[in-house]
Amino acid sequence: MTALLWNLFYVLIFPGLFFCILMGILLSGLDRIWVARMQRRVGPPLLQGWYDFLKCCGKETIVPRHAKKAVYFAAPVVGFAALITIALFLPVVGGKPAFSGTADLVVILYLLTLVSVCMIVGAAASGSPFAGVGLSREMVAMISYELPFVLVILAISKVTLTADSGLPMTFSLQAIWDYQTVNGPLIAHWSLIPAAIALLFVIPCEVGMHPFDIAEAETEICEGTLSEYSGPPLAVFRLTHMVKMYIMTALFYVLFLGGISTGIVAVDVVIFILVCVLLTFITMSLPHAACARFKVEQVFQFYWTFVAGLALISLILVWLGL
Amino acid sequence: MNSFLQNFPILAIMTLFVGAFVTSLVGRRNAVARNVVVAISVTGALAMMLALIKPVLLDGQIVAYWLGGWTPVEGWAIGISLEVDALSLFFGLIVTVAVFVSGIYSFTYMNHDDSLVNYYTLFLMLSGSVLGLVLSGDLFNIFVMIEIMTFTAVALTAFRTSYEGALEGALKYLVVGSLGSTSVLLGIAMIYSQLHTLNLAQIAALIPGQGGNLVTIAAFAFLFMGFGTKAFLFPFHPLAADAHAVAPASISLMISGVLTKCGVYGIIRLVYVLYQNINTPFVSYLVTGFGAVSMFVCVTMAFNQHNFKRLLAFHSISQVGYVITVVGLGSALGLSAGLYHAMNHTIFKGLLFLTAGAVQHQTGSLDLDSLGGLSKKMPKTTLLFLIGAASISGLPPFNGFASKWLIYQAAFLKGVYDGNFFYIMVAVVALITSVLTLASFVKVSQSVFFGQLPEQYREVREVPLAMRLPMWVLAVLCVVTGLFPNFVQTYLLTPAVSAVANLTAYIDSAMGAGYAAAHGIYVSGLTEVPITGVWNPVSWLLLLFCVTCGVAIVALLASPNDNSKLHISSKDETAEERDDKYESFFSGEEALYSQVGGSDLFWGFKHSWRKYFSFMHDWHSGIVNDYTLYGVVAIALVLLVCVIVL
Repeated sequence: MTALLWNLFYVLIFPGLFFCILMGILLSGLDRIWVARMQRRVGPPLLQGWYDFLKCCGKETIVPRHAKKAVYFAAPVVGFAALITIALFLPVVGGKPAFSGTADLVVILYLLTLVSVCMIVGAAASGSPFAGVGLSREMVAMISYELPFVLVILAISKVTLTADSGLPMTFSLQAIWDYQTVNGPLIAHWSLIPAAIALLFVIPCEVGMHPFDIAEAETEICEGTLSEYSGPPLAVFRLTHMVKMYIMTALFYVLFLGGISTGIVAVDVVIFILVCVLLTFITMSLPHAACARFKVEQVFQFYWTFVAGLALISLILVWLGL
Repeated sequence: MNSFLQNFPILAIMTLFVGAFVTSLVGRRNAVARNVVVAISVTGALAMMLALIKPVLLDGQIVAYWLGGWTPVEGWAIGISLEVDALSLFFGLIVTVAVFVSGIYSFTYMNHDDSLVNYYTLFLMLSGSVLGLVLSGDLFNIFVMIEIMTFTAVALTAFRTSYEGALEGALKYLVVGSLGSTSVLLGIAMIYSQLHTLNLAQIAALIPGQGGNLVTIAAFAFLFMGFGTKAFLFPFHPLAADAHAVAPASISLMISGVLTKCGVYGIIRLVYVLYQNINTPFVSYLVTGFGAVSMFVCVTMAFNQHNFKRLLAFHSISQVGYVITVVGLGSALGLSAGLYHAMNHTIFKGLLFLTAGAVQHQTGSLDLDSLGGLSKKMPKTTLLFLIGAASISGLPPFNGFASKWLIYQAAFLKGVYDGNFFYIMVAVVALITSVLTLASFVKVSQSVFFGQLPEQYREVREVPLAMRLPMWVLAVLCVVTGLFPNFVQTYLLTPAVSAVANLTAYIDSAMGAGYAAAHGIYVSGLTEVPITGVWNPVSWLLLLFCVTCGVAIVALLASPNDNSKLHISSKDETAEERDDKYESFFSGEEALYSQVGGSDLFWGFKHSWRKYFSFMHDWHSGIVNDYTLYGVVAIALVLLVCVIVL
């Protein structure tokens, strides 16, 4: 019975639903304030994301005539829930995921894909031509960041696998964490630094933040994938976007900065949150304030040449045993 | 072994062949009798394969059946044999399940066509020949079955002669397919000239003693390319697309789900059992290389297709490429991943072809640029399509993900253990192919099932239950085999993999105990690799369910209790009642029909790759002479390299 209650606590409170939403709102609020400050504006209050969510929930929902209703409503919810499950597999505190033995790094890669697919399918089901253009751009963005992401994952797995003398645990987050506990964070492993930079570039595109938000370009294609969404479904999509900021920064933390533990859970959590905040500033706020939106083919070329090149350098260096 | 069960392999094959002849006798006058005969044949064959599961897959026995009682004399197999080990039965099950589904689907799907008696006769002969191929214990009978298979498949491809390109597609298949058959025959002739036997078990025992005999090495090259043609591997892939696009959907299911699997089966038998040379680095490169190139080239080819079934055809070769890639790794994990994916491919690709057939049956079109919005008219088909598309794109928790996940692990581990960068790049190509596959199916779902409904499809209706039922069977299999990978692993894959590894039992059960040891064959070089990842679909699904419930409860508590805020247009609104607020947003312009067609998607991606795509476009000229030339060149090159290297 206690085990069940603990599991419910993990799923609903920490590190599950409640904590994810809280972190998502916090990070997106900070991001908006920072971008505003860099543009000499005051910016919204910290909890603006939450206010937006509540406001959307109170609005009316208009389902367009061309929409396929069941998919239109199911897509945001499934995507959001799939995103929350990722948080349960990340060993963010004390090196133990809430649920071990369920998913590894490749599964997480595919769960992130599933979240994007839910957005794509929802957009397709809304029947709008703008959404049609938006989903095609979302898909191109996905193809773009997937290659460097995959290369980074393979490079990390190679390092942690060769070091492990026992039963090889390929792609296991737990194994990656344990390796870092023994050998220090992977970011200190010099041959993995290009891979870390590549993953920093992957984060904003995966989240869909400003210079890479080709799928939701408001000024060109009227919010693209979201153009026919309104009311609570739109609120869920917005929330998914915010929580993704947290998930991606947490993933970077686990992959490159994991293994550090003071032994006190509260301190660990504070460090973890600070790292997420810092990563949000570096990967999302800075490019957001500095760059204008890329074109579709620019995003693709940037990720498949520059970012994938960095990740490939790492993979080759790691391969040579450096 | 029960001597009654001993007869089941030959009975299963005969059921289908006899069914073919009975169909042509009784079916000309009586359509009901014809359908009954077909149903009995396909069900009977399936039932007999299922009955063999217990002894062969679970108890690990090998059924060796000698036709006419011509057992080997003094260590020479002169009779024709059927030898069913777990690997053969695994493929036998794939074949009979696909045949069963395709047969049931045909009853309604083919009702617009005439001269159906020819269709069913050819269909049952095709089914019998593929079943005969995978159960055969004799190399020459494999060739005979390949011939029957190719010619019936060609005839069925051209069955709808009124279709544009039907005869052309069939002709290409005939010419290039014959090239493959000839290649197999040449290989067999060379083996016979050296070893004076055609029995698979005896060949497997004798070949290692041949050492560097150039003739048997050349035979290897010919057999590999011959089976490669049957699996439509690169560079034989263009003909599959031409054949699939014009064949009836039930036959596309057979070509993609069953015929390509015969090629896969042939390659597995060849490299693991007959030549046992999969651990030679060169052979591993050869098989994996062909697989990886097919996988990548075909998925990019699928990007440019405008025809639903042509697109599926390219994907089917791409997925077979995955199978061949991991089969080439030569590890137990790789082989079980390959078999798993081969099975899953038959299931999800069958489902996708049947949904394509349903769309074609109801709308008469397969054009990705002109279709659209069918989810409003065919909701159940849409759901089935989405299940199939999620499976082939490898989205958790469907079966495509479970097998692809094993594939990545197998390729990565092979690369790390051998210290070989080639296999790591293979893993990268596999992961990228998966994303591109997803993109293709996003294109199909957007341009066929979602978006706006064109005027001419206003009256389209859902397909009848008789057609949905076979699709549901496959959809349920997609989910079940995805949710319980451990079950599949224990009861289907592990027996098949250990049958391949346990070469001695395979040889001895045909040639008599001690034959393998006398020729110095002990065990195959398969090394056991433990499964090293974590993926528990059921547990993930439970978590997903919990989170969804949590979200739903919060949403219910938070939402204001009035339904006035949900606006959905009523189904039977009249022209005057049409409210503009339900129209899609058009930047303030008047709403027009503006479906984003299939070929307009992904231009950012296609633009970046325009040189590659234009090269590919020119290369796939559609001229049968060119395709034959590619085939001949490929066979010659592989022959040359094999003879030099091995």
